[in-house]
Amino acid sequence: MLLLLPQALVDGIMIGGVFITIAIGFSLAFGVMHIIDLAVGEWIMLGAFLGLYLNQWTNIEPFIFLPVVFVVFGLIGYYVQPVIFRVVSGKKGNPLLMGLVFTFGLALIFKGAGLTIFGFYSHSIPSVFSKGSFSIELGNFFLTIPVIRFMGLSYAIIITIMLQYLLKKTDFGLAARALAQNREASGLMGINPKKTSSYVYAIYVGISAMTGVLIGCIFTLSAQMGFKYTVFSFFVVVLAGMGYMSGVPWAAFLLGLVQSIFLIYFNPGYTLLALFVILYGVLLISPKGLFGRGW
Amino acid sequence: MPEPIIRVDSVTKTFGGLHAVDRVSFQIDPGEIVGLIGPNGAGKTTLFNVISGYYAPSQGNVYFKGEDISGQPPYKLAIKGIGRTFQVVKPFPGMSVLDNVVIASLSLHPKRRRAEEHAGEVMKFTGLADRAHVLAGSLTLAGRKRLEITKAMALEPNLVLLDEVVAGLNPTETDQTIELIQKIRAQGKTILIVEHIMRVIMNLSDRVVVLNFGSKIAEGKPKDVANDPSVIEAYLGEEAQEA
Amino acid sequence: MMRHRNILWFIGIFVGLLVVPLIYSDPFFIRIITEAFMWIGLAITWDVIGGYAGRVNFGHGVFFGIGAYVTAILMTKGGWLFTLTLPMAGLGAGLVALVVGFPTLRLMGAYFAIAMWSLALAFQQLALLLNITGGPDGMRMPAFLNPAFFFYIMLCTVAASFALLWYLMERAPFGLKVGSIREDESGAMALGLNPTKIKIQAFVLSAVPAGMIGGIYAYWISYINPASVLGDIITDQAIVMAVFGGLGTLIGPAIGALIVFAFKTLFWAYLSSYQVLYLIILGAVIAATVVFLPNGIWGTYLTYRKSKPLGSVIYKSVEGDNEHA
Repeated sequence: MLLLLPQALVDGIMIGGVFITIAIGFSLAFGVMHIIDLAVGEWIMLGAFLGLYLNQWTNIEPFIFLPVVFVVFGLIGYYVQPVIFRVVSGKKGNPLLMGLVFTFGLALIFKGAGLTIFGFYSHSIPSVFSKGSFSIELGNFFLTIPVIRFMGLSYAIIITIMLQYLLKKTDFGLAARALAQNREASGLMGINPKKTSSYVYAIYVGISAMTGVLIGCIFTLSAQMGFKYTVFSFFVVVLAGMGYMSGVPWAAFLLGLVQSIFLIYFNPGYTLLALFVILYGVLLISPKGLFGRGW
Repeated sequence: MPEPIIRVDSVTKTFGGLHAVDRVSFQIDPGEIVGLIGPNGAGKTTLFNVISGYYAPSQGNVYFKGEDISGQPPYKLAIKGIGRTFQVVKPFPGMSVLDNVVIASLSLHPKRRRAEEHAGEVMKFTGLADRAHVLAGSLTLAGRKRLEITKAMALEPNLVLLDEVVAGLNPTETDQTIELIQKIRAQGKTILIVEHIMRVIMNLSDRVVVLNFGSKIAEGKPKDVANDPSVIEAYLGEEAQEA
Repeated sequence: MMRHRNILWFIGIFVGLLVVPLIYSDPFFIRIITEAFMWIGLAITWDVIGGYAGRVNFGHGVFFGIGAYVTAILMTKGGWLFTLTLPMAGLGAGLVALVVGFPTLRLMGAYFAIAMWSLALAFQQLALLLNITGGPDGMRMPAFLNPAFFFYIMLCTVAASFALLWYLMERAPFGLKVGSIREDESGAMALGLNPTKIKIQAFVLSAVPAGMIGGIYAYWISYINPASVLGDIITDQAIVMAVFGGLGTLIGPAIGALIVFAFKTLFWAYLSSYQVLYLIILGAVIAATVVFLPNGIWGTYLTYRKSKPLGSVIYKSVEGDNEHA
């Protein structure tokens, strides 16, 4: 049985890669806007469907129009953000929780819209990378890595690097980081919180939707998939620590690992239960994440 | 010799490596008004938080009416007789002024009717009775500070901790607050007051304790402390607020 | 004076409802009203922890589901009498709330919401996996077709819960204390309140009636499974009803429940091919409420009537305080 462990590890890493991109955008949005977006899974679902239809209409390889999906949803996110901002900045009720409830409403709208428009069926987006896999021999161990999953990991790495560059080396990134640390002081320094937040949210939505396309290629997509990915996003972000982006890769790999271990060694039906228990446990023991650096 | 109301015995409070309060000892006798002064960051509010139960001392003990209260939570101490205000006032903004005070009165009078009557009496004492049904969130700063004191008084405390109760008030409001504090003392309450406005605290206090960088550097009558060279030096570079 | 008027209203409505089955005996109609009661119960109990205590709970449905399964298991596997299972259903839910409340309630608001959400889902997974709960196939109860019986038992349970909550949250000091914890927890501590104790009490108070309602549901519908009683949909609707109706009051969620439920029923009656549209509207309602009417229908009405500035969750101070100060 132990022979399968390396494969489990590798699978975990591959899957985890995809979760990194989801969680990193989510963590960014949280860090800058203090918004916990319950609709994250739905953004992924909507992006996946856009990818599906674009591919069906144009027959172009989905990986090519990843940027298209990013831009489309970036724009949507850009225009949705002011509403969220208004809710979160209000003095009525508890702004943070009202923001949570608002995105909860958004999630319901999207889920309902998804089911209405797309029906209940599952689909998959075909890609040139869908078939084929690498095989690696390491001593006694034989590892199989499907190409598409490898592409997923590469995608995650590229996005992460680009995001890091954006945050660390550009003025915009500086503004976003400043906003995340101290909203008032940033305002005093000439940073426009509304505008910066709009861009941050746009980026987060764009990335999430884009990752949805990827998920549609690697796995399947359906109008009900949103919920599952919201769970995964929360799992990763809570374990990493809300707003603590450096923790995301580790937490994402852990998620991937749990999934693949359960797939190989245990009954996969227990996967979700295990995830919920871990999530709940982490919240109790170390709500600021495994590294204690969350919000 | 009457038992001191509060005895702070070599209390230290550290955060990480920082000694916010460093081996501070003093005591307050019943009926006294003691002022706690020191430059910003000297540890005054931290000391307040230790005495009122929000922090447990890292070392040392606090004795209240002879009992060791070190580390007990604030709600227990409130019932035992320690009332406090907060530097950044903490009203219950969505509730009426009356309800705000009733919460405190409930600790003495569990039945709501009686608690409301009691709250009404306390509000008359502090001059808030005319605003009983106003939403606390809509009060002016002076009103909120007044409410803060009222709530503490509704606990019928033996020791009242006042944390910067006149900061941000105009001279008229400041004088009104000073009057109230004197009324409170006249009731026999013991008061420990933190304040930056020198004329207020020097005129009100029987004794003054001076903190700097967490340690006590002076203690005594206001006039003596004001002339103490180490105190003057501690304040050099600080704009002492002369009202 | 006002207090007596409220009690009269309550008794009047209650008695009026008692005679409804005697006048309109159409079973379909009776079932609709019974379900309306159920949702009122779920919405007001959610509001105890969500509105009064200010802790948004995305897992409230778990108490409903636990109650449903307790009744189902006791009746089918233990041969218990239905009415005897109800207190157990409430007790089961209450115990879970007590045990779970200690660690979870000390989390900050957003974390509490997510923690409860994941807990509820964990329970759903558990129900799917265990044998005693029948797994994904759920549990079938002995059939008992008597709409009037369930009408009365749901009405009495919800009315009793409403009365109890009204007393505790609006009349007794407890409601005031819960509100102060919501407004400023650390400030409340300085006034003698133990936040953990009060939050747990409110939490258990929200759980027990929800559990009993779940127990009634199980026997009434005769069939339960993890999706129907432990799914998100129960919690989701309760939250929309409470927020839309008005947080921090009892009448608010009750009104919200009635309106949303009425809408849902009409929707399913005339637009049943567009069922998923219901989700969209539900989401739109709550999103719009949060943005435009944060105090809900009833809350906004209260503000308007008393001409108070819109503060945070409107907290009704005691009636009769006009007689004081």
